[in-house]
Amino acid sequence: MSELTLAVPSKGRLEELTRDWFAQNGLTIFRPGGPRSYLGALDGHPEVTVRFFPAGEIARELIRGTIDLGVTGTDLIHETAETGPQSVDFAKPLGFGAADVVVAVPSSWIDVTHMHDLADVASDFRSRHGRWLRVATKYITITRQHFARAGIAEYRIVESLGATEAAPASGVADIIVDITSTGSTLTANALRILEDGVMLKSQANLIVSRTANWTPDRQAQRDRLLAKLNASIKL
Amino acid sequence: MPADPYFDLAGEEFGRRLMLTTATTGQEYCLRPEYTLPIVTDYISNGVGQPAAFAYFGPIFRQRQDGPAEFEQAGLELLAQPDGDVALDQVLTFARAALDLYAVSVPNIRLGGVGLFETLLVQLDMPDPWRPRIRHRFGHTEALERLLVRLAAAPNLERTPQPGYDALLTEITEQMVDAGISLSQGRTPDEIAARYLEQQALDAEHVPAATLALLRDYLAISGPALQALTRIEQLAHQHGLDLATPLRALRRHLNELGNSSEVSFDASFSPRLDYYTGVVFEVLGRGGQALVSGGQYDRLLERLGATAPIAASGCAIWVDRLEAECAP
Repeated sequence: MSELTLAVPSKGRLEELTRDWFAQNGLTIFRPGGPRSYLGALDGHPEVTVRFFPAGEIARELIRGTIDLGVTGTDLIHETAETGPQSVDFAKPLGFGAADVVVAVPSSWIDVTHMHDLADVASDFRSRHGRWLRVATKYITITRQHFARAGIAEYRIVESLGATEAAPASGVADIIVDITSTGSTLTANALRILEDGVMLKSQANLIVSRTANWTPDRQAQRDRLLAKLNASIKL
Repeated sequence: MPADPYFDLAGEEFGRRLMLTTATTGQEYCLRPEYTLPIVTDYISNGVGQPAAFAYFGPIFRQRQDGPAEFEQAGLELLAQPDGDVALDQVLTFARAALDLYAVSVPNIRLGGVGLFETLLVQLDMPDPWRPRIRHRFGHTEALERLLVRLAAAPNLERTPQPGYDALLTEITEQMVDAGISLSQGRTPDEIAARYLEQQALDAEHVPAATLALLRDYLAISGPALQALTRIEQLAHQHGLDLATPLRALRRHLNELGNSSEVSFDASFSPRLDYYTGVVFEVLGRGGQALVSGGQYDRLLERLGATAPIAASGCAIWVDRLEAECAP
């Protein structure tokens, strides 16, 4: 029997909100083994296997096509692979997990308010300081794409997997690209978002893989499920 | 080979094409993505000064959307040649010979004038600090366009009175100390205050509308090389600009290329790397992809550690694309 795999976040607030959202749409997600288990089911849909994954892995597996549907953030799809957005369909924004991927500079950089200021500062940074402007971020793909579009070429990325907002104070980097929902962490760290520094508006989405093996049977199952969730994809 | 020099020279945009791996020591390595950097680095470490010529042919590795990550590239590097223009002619001859070898009979050759643009920019009527900002965006059509739009709109912006340098310096220093940011390891309070004031002054010091119009006219020039160069001569004459030297160099290379009907000149064409100088070129295939690309890059050796600018020119040939081009 053909089957659909739906991956949902395995822990924390995202897991709760995802299960709430499905419940509001009349579909209960069961997790019979409790929070330690990684396998679940969807009430009334025996053809659907639910898997509990970390959000980052959901993005990766959707892009690869090893899972069919999943709930994860827009940012992770854009970050995981350059071809990420082409490899999936965003079937429905879920209205939670909203956050922006932004460029933030030290508040003391009063001369830098826009990306074009950053382009100017980056262009002679090397001759002034003997090194390139350093950008701390875990969003390497998104940063490269957006900086290229802004005409900023002279910088180096310093990969930062946690507490990115501390990078300018610790001297690891000059500026940061990070995700923020309220901006309060940035403000607390004396960082300021550039006026045109929002690179990506992200939120939790129900996402359909385009690279999965969509046989006619599985397509029919998928479309029935999406219809129930008031979601749709462009084919 | 170590990946760091490539990031240092060409930045993240090139870096994302590298095939990376990490050694057990944590050091990052890449599969060789091109030949110019290793050749030039080796040349510098052996003591610069003597004219040298290198040719290469072998596999390189890059991530690309289409085609395998391993493919062959060939090319030429002419370093510290006594006459940079003669050297470029040799590069062009070499490129032509490679095209003949693959029977690419009607090549589409595109020339760009980095030196020409720099000569023009120096002579334009505008506040000096705008020149490097414009130069920096040359070759990135969208970024340059955004700057020109901003410059055109600048006279209509409202302005508030600004604090003086000392007040700014105090304010910035306080902010940096509060935030725990080093006053010396990155941008300094002095640098920020100076650029802030320069920015304010710049916003008040407009680039004349006539200059912006001239820049736009110039950048829009694109077409058969002889006509394009004639058009630039007219523009120079009309505005009293002296572009004779770079134009002469371009005409000379055009002659060397022989059949000039295949050669176009695009005034806005430039690689996005700031070590290019003089004349740049590329040969495009039927699908618009580069078969050969090259030019003069007199600032490259300095960037890689040489103590003075050294004439350099060369080109890289995309062998797999040439093979595809001549396939029936």
